[in-house]
Amino acid sequence: MPINASPLPVWMKCFRASPGTSPVNLTHLTSPAQGRLLARRPSPPCGARIASMSTATRKPMPSALTLDLHAKCSTTKARASTLHLPHGSVPLPIFMPVATQASLKGLTYDQLKQTGCMLCLNNTYHLGLKPGQAVLDAVGGAHKLQGWDRNILTDSGGFQMVSLLKLATVTEEGVRFLSPHDGTPMLLTPEHSISLQNSIGSDIIMQLDDVIATTSPDHARIHEAMERSVRWLDRCIDAHKYPERQNLFCIIQGGLDLELRKQCCEEMVARDTPGIAIGGLSGGEAKEDFCRVVDTCTGLLPDHKPRYVMGVGYPEDLVVGVALGADMFDCVWPTRTARFGNAVVPTGTLNLRHRSYAQDFRPVQEDCTCPVCRSKEQGGLGITRAYIHHLTAKETVGAHLLTMHNVHYQLTLMGSARQAILEDRFPAFLREFFGKLYGEKVNYPNWVIEALRGVGVDLMVDP
Amino acid sequence: MGSESSPQSPDEMLSFNVTPSVLSPRLGRLAIAGRKPISTPHYIPLSSRGIVPHIAQDVMRDHTAIGSLFVGLEDFLERQTPKEPLPPAYMIPTAQGESALRKFISLPDDFLLIMGPRREPSITCPPSNTPNSVAIYTAVGFRQLEARQYIHAVQNLNPDIVVGLADLVLGHTPGLKRRGKMVDRTHAFTTHATGQLYGSSVPIENRSKTAYFAPVLPLENAEQSIYMDDLEDELRPHISGLALYESASLSAISEPLGDLPRLLFSAPATPHDILRDVSLGADLLTIPFVTVCSDAGIALDFTFPANSTTTDPQPMAYDLWSSSYTTDTSTLSGSCQCFTCRNHHRAYIHHLLSAKEMLAWTLLQIHNHHTMDAFFSQIRDSIARDTFETDVQAFQKAYVSELPEPTGQGPRLRGYQLPASGANQPRRFPRVYGRLDDAVEKFTESQSQSSVATPDTGADGLEEHGFAQKEIS
Repeated sequence: MPINASPLPVWMKCFRASPGTSPVNLTHLTSPAQGRLLARRPSPPCGARIASMSTATRKPMPSALTLDLHAKCSTTKARASTLHLPHGSVPLPIFMPVATQASLKGLTYDQLKQTGCMLCLNNTYHLGLKPGQAVLDAVGGAHKLQGWDRNILTDSGGFQMVSLLKLATVTEEGVRFLSPHDGTPMLLTPEHSISLQNSIGSDIIMQLDDVIATTSPDHARIHEAMERSVRWLDRCIDAHKYPERQNLFCIIQGGLDLELRKQCCEEMVARDTPGIAIGGLSGGEAKEDFCRVVDTCTGLLPDHKPRYVMGVGYPEDLVVGVALGADMFDCVWPTRTARFGNAVVPTGTLNLRHRSYAQDFRPVQEDCTCPVCRSKEQGGLGITRAYIHHLTAKETVGAHLLTMHNVHYQLTLMGSARQAILEDRFPAFLREFFGKLYGEKVNYPNWVIEALRGVGVDLMVDP
Repeated sequence: MGSESSPQSPDEMLSFNVTPSVLSPRLGRLAIAGRKPISTPHYIPLSSRGIVPHIAQDVMRDHTAIGSLFVGLEDFLERQTPKEPLPPAYMIPTAQGESALRKFISLPDDFLLIMGPRREPSITCPPSNTPNSVAIYTAVGFRQLEARQYIHAVQNLNPDIVVGLADLVLGHTPGLKRRGKMVDRTHAFTTHATGQLYGSSVPIENRSKTAYFAPVLPLENAEQSIYMDDLEDELRPHISGLALYESASLSAISEPLGDLPRLLFSAPATPHDILRDVSLGADLLTIPFVTVCSDAGIALDFTFPANSTTTDPQPMAYDLWSSSYTTDTSTLSGSCQCFTCRNHHRAYIHHLLSAKEMLAWTLLQIHNHHTMDAFFSQIRDSIARDTFETDVQAFQKAYVSELPEPTGQGPRLRGYQLPASGANQPRRFPRVYGRLDDAVEKFTESQSQSSVATPDTGADGLEEHGFAQKEIS
């Protein structure tokens, strides 16, 4: 039984063994589904062992979502689809803004709806600390708490392990960490995480995974984290009370080691969760590595399930991520940078606190359709850069306005990518997007060029 | 309504219909060409840097009944360099007759825009006023606003109404000599400004279309009689209203000035004070406690006349920081129809406050301004019914006399919102970041080898490190 078990020494040996040197023949243990998977893509035997061992105890995995795959780009791996969730349909690919503590940084939910947002994030870790599970249960979940009738996705609290690693320690049982609010030691197990997310009632819930920085030099630790994440997924599936209304997503781990990622993909695909996330990225790794991991994983994932790349939010990362076959992204960057006075625009970001914007009476972004940028004649507010400069870092409204613009920018960007995929002109969209963002071709970063070459688009060569 | 391009005197631009009266509540209607008319008595929402704090322009437009705004010029005067001699608000390109200030702050076209020299409530400035300037507090420090600069601002920014410059003494009671100076200076400011803006020497097409509200000083009537006489007589054609700085001034207004709208900056502390000011004949009131309450997490909850059934006086507001609201899913107040009450409940606001989320203050501002809108509408109904006096008495019996004391933390206050501190003061706010640094240090000290801080030790080991204690899961 892998549940609650410490890492067995035999597994560790097994994981470290190179493929093909399996000490045991395990094929007789595999389920029919597992058998097909193995037939298509022979996996290292130790991976098969974890999967098959837990197959016996796994309960059936209902899904509370459907994915309508509308189109695939004929050149790249990009996909356009619609994800039907319990609180409405979400067009994919999508960027999901992060309402960490059940509030999107000053925006009313009416303002958030106006950006077109159908799905936003809450952080389990934060909601678990405040207001806490008892309150969530009493109020009737996060939708009722925050008055948001569209979809919510909650992370598991796992990412906070990376960001608060100095304050956290991971054991097979779970994660121990200090409450940042009062310093009280806390323990977060997969069961806790799922139970909390059940109380939150989010439409998509994430498994608790063992996240470590991808830049960690400790390969054995990465290995262990991947393996543990698979075991924790089984515990999450077992603990999940409402699979018929909350969709549990697994999280692919394995650091930057493509072999580990492949093993992890196979393990997790076999568990048949309604959606699949690629985790552990955006922790400071090189962009080339990031792209390789996403590319590898999406290549192994089934077509009919949504793919969520966690913690990614720079516009160029989103666009490349879409080209590599990912559907969903989230990041606090657009909203956080708004609070620092930065506006996201097609040419990059504008630091509107800079003196040069004090008398710049243009809208934040010319021909942007968000309420902040639209003129009064077009039903917008007609806010100028100069006025944001006047407010930013001084009045909270400065942050509200830029947050609205930035979220709108990210959602619109994904909307145009989707439209381009539907019309099968995504490569042209890529050229236009990077042309605007970087200007001259010499400015194009290498990782973008390489990643897109890998999916058949050469930005350096004009068609 | 007259078109803005045709030259009109401020009197034609602004009309105020009221039953002239002294020292009694009165109903009126203030109408300015192109703006939503305002039924008085009413309140004028106060702004900081051109917005009602925490309420973005679209929220104000879509979810509040706010139709007017008071703006302090000092919020727009910052660094001026030889290269950029004028503040940005002056420089925004405008159409003919359009107000630069309105455009700069993106205020909807039909909102009434009132500009004064200083924010309300004003922060006391250590430098004192001079015969031709008043001390102001900008986001980058203290400076003097000269009378001619203020006139220039009116000509450039074109607000609907400007509150004239007054030599006010904040923070202490002025002595006899100072009071004399206050009157002389204010008299000179008013004469000079009205002459420059509307005087017969100004070509008719250049005359300002901004209506001038002349200040009445917070002094005994006898002390400023020369000034008041001049307002009644020579300056009367140029002034469209009066700005008052204490409730007592309402009794200082003589009959010839009785038909002018009265804008009051008395900083009422409670709804009771508002009722007192209205009963003395105030038309437009400014109410700093609305934003103060929102910042403190306090929701206003009262109606006029009171419809309470109990005999004990009820609180007029309550503090949402209180843990008694943790799971309270009721609206902020009874059947309130504001955006906040239609969409959210007390438990959420309580959560937002304790999570220090900005949305708490936004939602409270919407509710508290809505409560004030309803309050003033009820006041006007009561005056119209001729039951104001008895309603006030019932209100005083039904509600306690004070608003609750703030307990929780509000938003981080900026320098321009706080009184100046002296030299070598301790820091105003505790550091927000790094509160757990001590724990981290202890922990890293115990970590000698691995660069990744994940000890192999169990909970017992952690306890020994003084880093954590075993929790019961």
